[in-house]
Amino acid sequence: MYVKGVGMTKFGAQTDTSQELVYEATMEALEDANFNMEDIDAIVSSTVDNESSGERQRGFSSILSSMFKKKVPILTSSAVCGGGGSAIWTANKMGYENVLVVGSERLLSNNTANTTDEILMAAERLYEQADGLIFPAQNALVAQQYMLRYGATTDDFALVAFKNHSNAYLNPKARFYKRQVTLKQIKKSPVVASPLRLFDCSLSVNGAAAAILTKEKTDIEIAGSSLYVDRLSAFENEDMTSWQASKLAAEEAYKQANLSPSDIDVAELHDAFTPVEVISYEDLGFCKKGEGKYMIRKGTVNLNGKLPVNTSGGLKAKGHPISATGIAQVYDLAKQMRKQAGDRQVDNVNYALAHNIGGAGSTVTVHILKKVGA
Amino acid sequence: MIIRWICEKCSKKWIYPIEKCVYCKGPVIKQKGAKIRVAGITKVAIPSPMHPIIPYNVLLLEDEHGNRMPKKTMKDYKIGDDYVEQRAKGKDAVAVVKVKYDIYEAIKDAVGLLNRIDLGKDDKILVKPSIVAAAYPYQAVNTNPDFLNALILALLEHGISKENIMIAEQALIGSDSMDAASKAGILEVCKKNDISFADISKGPFEEIESDGYKFKILKETLNRKIINAPIMKTNSQIGLSGAVENLSRLCDEPTQRRMYFDNIDETLPKLVNALNVITIADATSGMQGQGPLTLGEPAFLNLVYAGRNPAMLDAVFCKASMLEIPPYIKLGKNAIKDIEIVGNELDALKYPIKKPVAEETPHPDIKVIDGKACPACLNAMFNATSRLIGLRGEQLNLVMGSVLSGEMLEGKERLVAYGDCAIKRLDEMKVKPMAQISEKTDMIEQIVLLKKLLTSKGEATITPIDKVKSKMKKLLSRVVQ
Repeated sequence: MYVKGVGMTKFGAQTDTSQELVYEATMEALEDANFNMEDIDAIVSSTVDNESSGERQRGFSSILSSMFKKKVPILTSSAVCGGGGSAIWTANKMGYENVLVVGSERLLSNNTANTTDEILMAAERLYEQADGLIFPAQNALVAQQYMLRYGATTDDFALVAFKNHSNAYLNPKARFYKRQVTLKQIKKSPVVASPLRLFDCSLSVNGAAAAILTKEKTDIEIAGSSLYVDRLSAFENEDMTSWQASKLAAEEAYKQANLSPSDIDVAELHDAFTPVEVISYEDLGFCKKGEGKYMIRKGTVNLNGKLPVNTSGGLKAKGHPISATGIAQVYDLAKQMRKQAGDRQVDNVNYALAHNIGGAGSTVTVHILKKVGA
Repeated sequence: MIIRWICEKCSKKWIYPIEKCVYCKGPVIKQKGAKIRVAGITKVAIPSPMHPIIPYNVLLLEDEHGNRMPKKTMKDYKIGDDYVEQRAKGKDAVAVVKVKYDIYEAIKDAVGLLNRIDLGKDDKILVKPSIVAAAYPYQAVNTNPDFLNALILALLEHGISKENIMIAEQALIGSDSMDAASKAGILEVCKKNDISFADISKGPFEEIESDGYKFKILKETLNRKIINAPIMKTNSQIGLSGAVENLSRLCDEPTQRRMYFDNIDETLPKLVNALNVITIADATSGMQGQGPLTLGEPAFLNLVYAGRNPAMLDAVFCKASMLEIPPYIKLGKNAIKDIEIVGNELDALKYPIKKPVAEETPHPDIKVIDGKACPACLNAMFNATSRLIGLRGEQLNLVMGSVLSGEMLEGKERLVAYGDCAIKRLDEMKVKPMAQISEKTDMIEQIVLLKKLLTSKGEATITPIDKVKSKMKKLLSRVVQ
């Protein structure tokens, strides 16, 4: 399929309801596509119902039917943090002419402790939840194993945070837009789960993103679309320093697109925690195993580098509204491909990659976008 | 101990038990690691509702098979350290073990951590679960049948013959024990394992004396070793139904009533002193909020507690669940910090469950002023008030039990003496309630009276017309049945 139009809200602490967020993102996507709702044949939504303040809403498909006055197939895909990518993958497989994909989340609706607990519900319950393995702790243990084996340092992770904050500074839709963060601030930020500090963790935000996919040829083709699911618990993996589902999804997406990692011009990676971005450079084939640290040290992944990564600011500094994230990645890549990325514009983007993870490497999607005619 | 379930034919592994391999259909066996080392450690500095005490560490443990698991601890370790679970040194230690998909292993772990448990192969055992009312296992009112089944398997594996094991319990006064055991799934477990179930209320009983107080307890208790197997629940009346409270139902009905009449906070510890028990408590799915019956909510705790001292075990449970320790839990000279806890550290276990509120009943307009009413009256009160849900009115205060003081009644209006103890005590205190409901009052008459009281501002009494109405209702309900 092809990308017809994209839309997203600003990611932040706004008090809009889920419906309002969905409406805003969808309206932008419709306008971008020069469509109206009559043109839509099916909808795939993504949300995890984690509004722990009590404003819970299940049956989201019917909410969308009510809002859009549509009696068409509406599916809700839930793969926690990987829900957005999973929704795009589903829409791409459905076979309808025009499909609206929309993801939304109101993650900032309670205090940090309760939100942490809500997110923890995506972890395995008897080993992980019961033994305090909140997501920062899970990723801290993964990072530690990676550091021990491959010699990466916390300074490398700080550079990832600094790069993504620098990009978010330029992105009007990012939570940290025009908010300067220094490397010193990052390195001095409080420890959340050692060795990870506050600035190694992505931002819980509210927001929504939408994309309209179509069979009609547009300027952006979805050349590769793959989804792999691995076991839930990171500690169960034979190798804790690599997400197997990322590798499998990447291999399949490259094969579908008939491309190799070196063809990619820009990428949005799932930097829920800074070490995950470094590990993902390797899992996605941008460098060899253990060499991710050089990608960030040498500036390869900076905005002016050979392969700019997370030009939007990523989950780290743009924000991570769980189910909207995977769709927001496609939003940003489409903007890059259409030269609409403003101060963050990367030159000559023909091939772009979106990488979205749910859980600790559990549900992974990789999408490769190709500029038609490239 | 780290356990994996591994297919004998194709070596695929699971972190939970499955019957046979989903690929080759081969048999699945347990793979247990014995030598465990610390492969990773993170210190967590942010609190969450499930883990409120910070900082805490999460260890990444790895065994000789390469199997891993996380383990929360307050202690500091280094990568490469050996990890050894320390066994108890003292006899009153409390073991707390997290269930990792296998209750049987958790029970064995918990008992194994205690300092030498004296159970011989030829011993006769009486297992005393909590089965207080007819309720399904998911409601967490009674000891979970899966827990009891695992406990029986552990006893059989220890070499105790099934002929020497007896499961014995009686429901709350006013409830049928066999109905309760049946609905709770306990009879099915007994049948499956070919083990007898005894309804304690049928006796015979024998009198014993402890600290100057006389108890009539089940005679079998004196001939067998007792394994106390309560489910851990909040109790809106006495704070907690756990290891100590469970033992009260070894007594006959008059003794139970008398224990409450004479102040359960003082009589229950005397009963505990008279008994020598091993407690293996079910906190897999315990109860929180308005326990101990179905007004309470199941609490997914996923723990097994074990110990020789029921009071200490209850105290540790209260602290771990962030509940107040009830007055009937007497720790003697020991403070909670003196209790030896093995398996998990107390601060690492702390997780707040919902507290019970003593004055609440199922009905929003009916409150209780409880002077330690006996379970019979309490059970009847819950029954009567729950049938009036939906009918709103003026607030009523049901006064119950005999341990009442002027302070408890201060500022309270629209008092209704509920039960013979309260009627007698209010009379002694020269307090005139707006109505009296004696224990002989038929349930339908009770409901009729409470309904009148709720919906009228003044006094209400049972009139001859009410009696006729209640008899007709009773007759009608029989016809319908």
